[in-house]
Amino acid sequence: MSEPALVLERVSATYGREPVLREVDLAVAPGEIVGLVGPNGSGKTTLVRVASGTLRPTSGRLRVGGRDLIGMPAREAARLVAVVPQDVVPAFSFTALELVLMGRSPYRSRWGGGSPEDWARVRAAMAATQVQHLADRPVDELSGGERRRVVLAQALAQDAPVLMLDEPTTHLDVRHVLDLLSIVRRLAERERTAVLAIHHDLNLAASTCDRLVALHRGEVVASGSPGSVVTPALLREVYGVEAEVSTDHATGYPSVRIGVPVEPAAPLGRRAHVVGGAGRGAPILRRLAEAGFDVSVGVLHGSDTDANVAERLNLVRVSVPPFSDIDAEAESVCRHLMREADLLVVCDAPFGPGNAANLRLALEATRAGVRTIVLEQIPIEERDFTGGEATVTWAELRSHSTVVRSYEELALVLG
Amino acid sequence: MQRAVPYRRVMLGLAAALVAAFLIGVAVGAVWVSPRTTIELIAWKLGLTGRPDDVSRAAEVIVFQLRLPRVLLAAIVGGALAASGAVFQGLFRNPLADPAIIGVSSGAALGAVLVIVTVGAASLGAFAVPLAAFAGAMATAFVVYRLARIGPAVHVATLLLAGIAIAAVISSFMSLVMSYSGEEIRDIYAWLLGGLVAQGWRSVEIVLPVVAVGVAGAWLVAHELNLISLGEERAAQLGVELDRLKRTSIAVGALLAAAAVSVAGVIGFVGLMTPHLLRLVIGSDHRRLMPASVLGGATLLILADLVARTIVAPSELPVGVVTALLGGPFFIYLLRREGKKAGARV
Repeated sequence: MSEPALVLERVSATYGREPVLREVDLAVAPGEIVGLVGPNGSGKTTLVRVASGTLRPTSGRLRVGGRDLIGMPAREAARLVAVVPQDVVPAFSFTALELVLMGRSPYRSRWGGGSPEDWARVRAAMAATQVQHLADRPVDELSGGERRRVVLAQALAQDAPVLMLDEPTTHLDVRHVLDLLSIVRRLAERERTAVLAIHHDLNLAASTCDRLVALHRGEVVASGSPGSVVTPALLREVYGVEAEVSTDHATGYPSVRIGVPVEPAAPLGRRAHVVGGAGRGAPILRRLAEAGFDVSVGVLHGSDTDANVAERLNLVRVSVPPFSDIDAEAESVCRHLMREADLLVVCDAPFGPGNAANLRLALEATRAGVRTIVLEQIPIEERDFTGGEATVTWAELRSHSTVVRSYEELALVLG
Repeated sequence: MQRAVPYRRVMLGLAAALVAAFLIGVAVGAVWVSPRTTIELIAWKLGLTGRPDDVSRAAEVIVFQLRLPRVLLAAIVGGALAASGAVFQGLFRNPLADPAIIGVSSGAALGAVLVIVTVGAASLGAFAVPLAAFAGAMATAFVVYRLARIGPAVHVATLLLAGIAIAAVISSFMSLVMSYSGEEIRDIYAWLLGGLVAQGWRSVEIVLPVVAVGVAGAWLVAHELNLISLGEERAAQLGVELDRLKRTSIAVGALLAAAAVSVAGVIGFVGLMTPHLLRLVIGSDHRRLMPASVLGGATLLILADLVARTIVAPSELPVGVVTALLGGPFFIYLLRREGKKAGARV
């Protein structure tokens, strides 16, 4: 790896007495795009303010291209670090060209109309962001996406070896987001610009950055490849959310699906058991858990969505490895859980030889007097892979149970 | 809003307007002096030509002793007020800011009023009042600036509020002083309403260098005022030393306003209106706006003063009354028109 363009060593910063950054270490190499992630108030924006020289850190070292940025005159610092702010709304009406030309002010004299190099840089920046045709338009008449591209051009015109982006994509359409990030990628590749970008969208951060740094309460809590930073454990710790992280099949990047955190009602002191599979039980698990039931689920196969959801909701689950049959131990545990339950919910999962035992266990419990609700949105014939056995058991089971046709109906029955 | 008029043409137009206003200002009065005579007299004084034969001695006296200093003073004061307005509007990122905003006008008024009631308007030579006004203006600006300064940072919102608060305190104190004053009240009102009456060359000589320094300073901060209109944080990212810029801008704006107020009293609307009006024509680049405002403000005040001294001749209106009476409605018309065109941008 080449000599880093931007280095922060044990940088701390405060607002008043409130510490906002604590001993942050960070380095960005030329041509590298580092994404800064973390919840609101984690110190991301402060970090960018410090690293761009506009906020003085209380301690630590800060170097750009080997030069100490702390105490450097603002004009000189602006030649080394360019920032793309979230948005710029000028107090007065300037044209796009005037605005981009302001990006050259760290190089220009007070009086001059711009050197040939200034104009060349401005033209190149406006070409890269495709805003040449807007040159004479007042910025306040541009659309949000156009204005953001003009502001990006302004920062590019600064011609700095380090570029920082403060949530560059907020309020942009998906098309503009992709355009903007591909401009930044080209810049990193061609000009070897070191890029530090604050991202709100974890998926976007994971798919567009070479490396991620996660901040939490002003401290770096994780740093590395997107796959090593974006993990359920980190999301739980930093954002306080339960999330599923999978590898996107199309791109190979980690992909995050955020779950709404469960806020259980007061425990009811009642137990519910769910027979799920193929994700059919997931909405029910959540609803029961939120209603305050003590929920168990099973028997499931290890890779089933229902098993993942149950894990996230921290429920009692009985599972066997993927593609294996239900073994004797799982069967006896599950029989026990069903018999002891105040409520048994059987979902319209597909049943095959691997899980048909669940239906038999449920029927036993129902006959033993456990209150049972059967979800039947999909007819049994379409999901019987046992050659008819499951259909027979299902018919018997539903004759002893309350039958609902949808999750909504189930919610009504549960009250 | 496309800018149809190129900068150069606007500046030429403004310069031509200023020359025309100047010649008309000198020409019109109790005695008509033709622009041609004025030009000939000036050319002669500058040593370019011989003394014109057909010009009477009386006309020479009128031009050089009365009209010329008055018109020049109006031009200097108008230019200073407009430049000061442009500086404050830029610094506060608000097109409705004017030179009075940081208490300069009320401070000047207090200084003037104190001198008028304690020693009288005419005593200590004619310059006691302007000097006291200038001192009052600069002192008030400094107090307001210190109030808004917390640590090394000057907060613009605090500056505005401190300016308003200080102005309120001063004006109530002034009311108190005035309610105990006797016949000086006429002098006080005359000063407060603003006027360029019988100032002579001395005022021009004293104010011109101060205003020249101020205009140079205003031009010096013009580029950075462009950047600060993007917001303080963005300006800092683009290399502006914020605290230094604020200090310089406040000093320059206060100096210009104080110089103007000290010789001409409180003249409203020129500082507010001129930059605003010109921004519509040449755009917001302060490097263009600053010189344009100086020319525009000078023209405007020459014309306002012309109206003030001719409309009820042989008596005179205070020029502040004229700028407010004409400027107010025109400004409202402008705001309404702009508002229709661009929503609530102003």
